[in-house]
This record gives sequence, C-alpha cells and structure tokens, in this order.
Amino acid sequence: MLADFNFRVIWEYMPLFLTGVRATAFIAAVSITLALITGILACACRISGIKALKYPAIAYIELIRSTPLLVQIYFLYFGLPTLGLRIPELQTGILALMLNSGAYIAEIIRAGINSVDEGHIEAGISSGLNYVQRMRFIILPQALGVTIPPLLGQNIVLVKDSALLSLISVVELTRSGQTMTSERFMPAEAFLTVAFFYMCIYFCLKAFADWSQRKLIFREVY
Amino acid sequence: MIQKKLVSIVLAVVVTLFLTGISFAGTLSEIVKRGELRVAVQSGAPPYAFIDKKGEPAGSMVGFSKGMADAMGVKLKVLDFDWDGLIPALLSGKADILAADMTPTLKRALKISFADPWIEVQPCVFTTTGASYNLLEDVNKPDVTVGVLLGSTGEGIAKKYLPKAKIKSYKGGGRMIVQALLAGHVDAGVNDDLAVLTVLPDYPPNSVRLLDKRLGQGKDPLSFAVRHDSVNLLQWVNLYFGTVRSNGDYDKNISYWLKGIEWKKDH
Repeated sequence: MLADFNFRVIWEYMPLFLTGVRATAFIAAVSITLALITGILACACRISGIKALKYPAIAYIELIRSTPLLVQIYFLYFGLPTLGLRIPELQTGILALMLNSGAYIAEIIRAGINSVDEGHIEAGISSGLNYVQRMRFIILPQALGVTIPPLLGQNIVLVKDSALLSLISVVELTRSGQTMTSERFMPAEAFLTVAFFYMCIYFCLKAFADWSQRKLIFREVY
Repeated sequence: MIQKKLVSIVLAVVVTLFLTGISFAGTLSEIVKRGELRVAVQSGAPPYAFIDKKGEPAGSMVGFSKGMADAMGVKLKVLDFDWDGLIPALLSGKADILAADMTPTLKRALKISFADPWIEVQPCVFTTTGASYNLLEDVNKPDVTVGVLLGSTGEGIAKKYLPKAKIKSYKGGGRMIVQALLAGHVDAGVNDDLAVLTVLPDYPPNSVRLLDKRLGQGKDPLSFAVRHDSVNLLQWVNLYFGTVRSNGDYDKNISYWLKGIEWKKDH
C-alpha cells in the first residue's frame, strides 16, 4: 500500500502547498484577531445592563450559533449580492469566520467571567473597588486563566473551518490539496500532506497558547 | 506444535489461492455473479446525471447505465459522488463503471481506462445578458474574471485559450458558476455548452447568454470509464454503444435528454 505512495509528486506540488499554508495562516491570523475583538465586544454588550446593547448581542450570538458555518458563508457570498452588497471571496471568508468565531468566543469569555466566585466580587465591593477596578483586579485575572484553554480550542476550530473557504474559490491549504487531486488524481498523497500542514499550524497555536497562559495568569490563582 | 504450524501454512496457502482466484475473475463476471452493476455518477450534473424531483437518479448517462444493467440482466445501483470523488471511487472498487461527463484526457487515462466517446460537446463562454462581451477576445482581458469548475476540461481550456483573463475555480457542479456569475463574483464562465444550456431555464429568463463562438479546437468528447484491469468490461461497454446506436435506443436517449428540455417536466 505504502509502495504506491508517490512522494515525488508531493514534492513537485510543494510550492502550491506552501502557498496554501501561507494563505491559511494569513486568513487564520486575521480572522482570529478580528474574532477576539468581536467576541470581547459582543460579550461586553451581552453582560452589560443596557438593554439596547444586551438584546442585539443575544440575537447575534444565538443566530450564529444556531446555523452552520457553510450556510453563513454561502449566504454572505451568493446571497448578499442579490440584496445589493457584494464582497470579494477572501473578505467574505474572513468576515464569515470572524462573525462565526466571535459568537462562540463571546460565550467562552462570558462563561469565564461567570466562573469567578461571588464571594470575591462581594469582597471587592466591600473593599470599595468600583466596577472597572473589580473587573481589572479581581474578575478578569481569574477569568482569563479559565478561558484560555477553550479559546485555544475555538481558534483551532477556526483554522480548520477555514477549509470551507475553498468552496467559494479562495485559494488556501485545502484548495491546494483539491487542485493536486484534480490534476494528478492522488487524493491520498494530497490530503495527507494537507492534514500534515494543518497539524503543524495546530502545534504552533498550541505552543502560543501555552506560552500566553504562563505569561498572563497570576500565579496566585493556581 | 508442528501440526499447528502445518495447519496455518495450509490455511495461508488456501486463503492466498482464494484471493488470487477472485482477482483473476474479470469485473464483468463479478458483476453478473453479484447481480448488481455499480455506476458512479457526478451528483448534480444535469442533463448527464442528477437527482430528479422524485429523488431518483436520472439523466442521459443514468439512462445508458440502466440500459447496460438491463442488458446484463442485473440491478443498477447509482452512486453519486462529488467530482473529486469519482476516480477514487472507481479505483477503490466502490463502482464498476464511471459514468460522468468526463473527457478522456491522456492524464486521466494514466489512472483509468476510457471507453470510446459516446458524445462530443463543446466548452462555451457564457456571461450575463447585460455584459458587453460579444467575441472571445472581449473576455480574454486582464480585467475580466472567468469562473470555471475545479479540475474540469473547461478549466484547462479556459487557461489555455483565455490566458489574459483571471480564472476563479469553483466546486460543486455547473450551477455554482452561474450562481457566481449572477452574484457578480465573475464576469463570465466556461463550461460545456450542453451543461450550461440545461441549467439556464432554472434561472431568471434572459439573465444569462452564451457567446456565439465556442471555445477551443473543435469538439470535446465524453466517455464512460472503467479500471485498467476491467478490459472485458471496457470491450462490453463499447459493444453496448455499438448496439444501441444501431437499434435506435441511442438516438432516443440523446434526443430526449440532450437535444431538448422537455424532460424537465418529468424529472
């Protein structure tokens, strides 16, 4: 079985795969940054007491979480133009990933904030700390610690979800595998190589998350 | 101890002989023995093969496949795959015959064997009615984006004959290019003319038109395909087409599925 495995052709297609890796890394980096911002804003709106902010945030989070990402991508790419708004495919893809992950990140952060013990907050109130000070010194330092593992998980999901962008003609890692398959009919070689590169991206992300967890968390918490 | 060893050696030899026995029996006799002809088609490729309103596989190539199964006296099983999955499905033995709107290219023939072409189509350029393009030269410009299907003959031909245009490759059947065209993501599309003419009635009337001149050299043949080792089946498929061409079944199929769109009422 392995004797049929054609490394020569994989090597021949390496420039294409590297283009794909670069594109996927770029899409992921931009989408993750934007999704974090979206998520933090959505979460802030979601937990704020102001109704005009809270209800739109709930609507956004629930709407995104209840629909498949592929449907969202197809709607943005094929649906929106008929309503009069046309966005090129790369931007559509980043927008879709940002909106999708943002909703999940908002919920992850909210869960982290909710996990902080009531008693700590009460202690903060009785020490005379105001809302911003409580957030800064009591809630966020503790919340960050518990949110980093699920945030890493969400970002890994985002990287893998970016494969769906190949369906709207974005050239990224999965598309380079599809291209090699369509030209050489070697799906085993093509998609194993693609899987290998996704794994590399995963381990980079994981290393970054481990590092940031060590840096960001107050040691006293654990 | 020695006895046990002997038994396992005998077993190994028997199993090996049994397995080689299977691979010696040709695909054709295997199909007859199994009582089922397995055909891989591309999902959503009207008028060649698609799932109709009733959820049944239908189309010109499904019609021919049904004819083959009837002639063999076996049941027909249609398996539908995405374009990329077609050749792997055939190679892995999931299907006996590949019945897709596939051109027998020399590159593809390195992996699978093609029967004699059963029809010839032509890649065409299509665009919106409102667009100003009339000649092929109008489309061959750096500011024009052309949509094609990834891995299709149209993709190769577009790259060859429209070298200056920007090419975007889509997946998921010919409708995707029309969809992208109507959404304004591409300015024109390249696909085989029969496939385009067939899906046009599904879109708003007069929204899409074909350029008069076809793209590329002459005709683009389509063929059924089998595995390299299914030589007997390959000869049988060729004989089948010889037979239906002389008894009129071929013309009936072509005029129903490919020359008109009357079938849209029933499927």
